[in-house]
Amino acid sequence: MALWIQITPGSDEPIYLQIVEQVGEAIAKGQLAVGDKLPAVRKLASELVINPNTVARAYTILEQTGLVTTKTGSGTFVADPALRSKDAADINMLADRIDGILSRGLNLGLESQDIIAMFKDRLEKFIKTRQGGRQKK
Amino acid sequence: MTEFVLETQGLTKFYSDKLAVDHIDLKIPRGCICGFVGRNGSGKTTAIKLLLGFLKPTAGSSRLLSCDSQNLTPAIRQRIGYVAEGHRLIRWMTITEIAKFQSAFFHEQLASAKQGEAGWDSRFFWDMIEYFGLSKKQKIKHLSNGQRAHVSLALTLAPNPELLIMDDPTLGLDAAIRRQFLEGIIELIMRQGRTILFSSHILGDIERVADKIVVIDKGVIRADCSLEQFRSAVKKVKFVFNQSPPETVDIEGLLGSRRSDKELEIILVGTADEKIAEWAKSSGATDYQTINMNLEDQFIEYTAPAGRNKPFTWEAK
Repeated sequence: MALWIQITPGSDEPIYLQIVEQVGEAIAKGQLAVGDKLPAVRKLASELVINPNTVARAYTILEQTGLVTTKTGSGTFVADPALRSKDAADINMLADRIDGILSRGLNLGLESQDIIAMFKDRLEKFIKTRQGGRQKK
Repeated sequence: MTEFVLETQGLTKFYSDKLAVDHIDLKIPRGCICGFVGRNGSGKTTAIKLLLGFLKPTAGSSRLLSCDSQNLTPAIRQRIGYVAEGHRLIRWMTITEIAKFQSAFFHEQLASAKQGEAGWDSRFFWDMIEYFGLSKKQKIKHLSNGQRAHVSLALTLAPNPELLIMDDPTLGLDAAIRRQFLEGIIELIMRQGRTILFSSHILGDIERVADKIVVIDKGVIRADCSLEQFRSAVKKVKFVFNQSPPETVDIEGLLGSRRSDKELEIILVGTADEKIAEWAKSSGATDYQTINMNLEDQFIEYTAPAGRNKPFTWEAK
C-alpha cells in the first residue's frame, strides 16, 4: 500500500512535507478511504530509506490536521472528515496558496474568467477521481 | 535527562601554524543521527580523528561514551564503530580472514545475548555479506570500491556498535550501492539507542538519514541544529520594485543578494517573517515572495565566502 508514496531528497520541499502532501492528496482523491490503515512508521521508513523520525513527524502533522488518527498499538488510520479541524490558520494557508496560483495565472496573461473556468474544470476532475476511488472500495 | 554519547569542549587542532579545528563545542545525544557536513578541507576528518583519539588536540577535549577520547579503553572502543574515509582494509586477506581478524577485537556475542547487547555477531556479519552478494573466499584486493565499502560496513556493524562514526562512507560509490549502504544505516537506526555521526558531501543522503545537521566551515561549527530547523532557517526572498532596488540591503541575517532591473533576491538565515515584511515595506517593494530552497543550495549559500564573514545573530541550537 505504501507504493504510491514517492519521495525526492534534494527537493525544495522537506521529505516530511512530501509525505504529508501525498497522503493528503490520496485522501482527497479517495484513494485512501476513512478507516484505511497507513503503513507502519518503521515499515515506511525502511521502504523509502529514510529516518523513521521523518515518517513519524509527517504522521504527527497529519494527525494534528485531523486527517488521520493514531490508535495506540494498532496503527494510524484515515480519520472521519467530521472530526477534521478547519481552523483559521489552515484556511489562511489555503488562501496564500491560491494567491500564488492566481499570480502565476495572471502573469501568464490569463483573464480572470479563464482562471475560474480552469479551476472549475480541475475541481470536477478531482471529484470524479474521488468518486471513482470510492466506488472501487 | 539527556545523555550525550559524544561531547566536545573547545576542541582545537593546529597543524604547525595552520588552524584546522577551531574551538568546537558539540553535544550529540543518544539516539541521534547526525549529518556532519562541510566543504573539502573544512576540518571534518581532523575533527573525527580527534574524537576517536587518533590525533591529539592542541587545546580542548572530547569524550565518547563518557570516556576521554585520548584515553579510550578497549572496553569502550568495542562499543564504537568507525568507518574510515576510503574504506581501507588489509588487502591480502580474504573476507573470512578479515572477519576473523576483526572479531578478535570483540567479545563473541553469546546466543543468550539480549537484543542490542554488544559483541561480535557472526551471523549478522555473514547475513550482510550474503545480502551484498559477496563470498567468503574473495580477497579484499580483488574487490571493487563498492564491494570494499560493503565489507567495511559489515565489519563495523557486526559488533553492534552503540556509537557509529563514519567519515564520508559513500564517497566514490555508485547510486545503487549508496542506496544499499543507506539501507544498512536505516536498519541500524531502527535498533534502539544507536547513535550515528557521519560526514558526507551528498546532501540528499544527509536529508534521508539525519535528524541533526552540523555544518563545519574553516574549522568552525557554523550550524548545529535539527535538519528541519536548518531547512526552515535558510531561505530566499524575491522582492519586486517599481524602480531599481535599493543599493544597500540592511536586514538581519543577510547571507547574500542578487539584483536585476526591478528585482532583488536575497538569501537569509534565521530572519523572522515579520522582519522580512517590515523590510519590504520600508524599502518600498511592491511585492515579495519567499522561495523554498533545497538543502544543497542552502548549504552552498550558507558556506559561500560572501556570507562567511558576516556576523550572525542566528542562534543555531
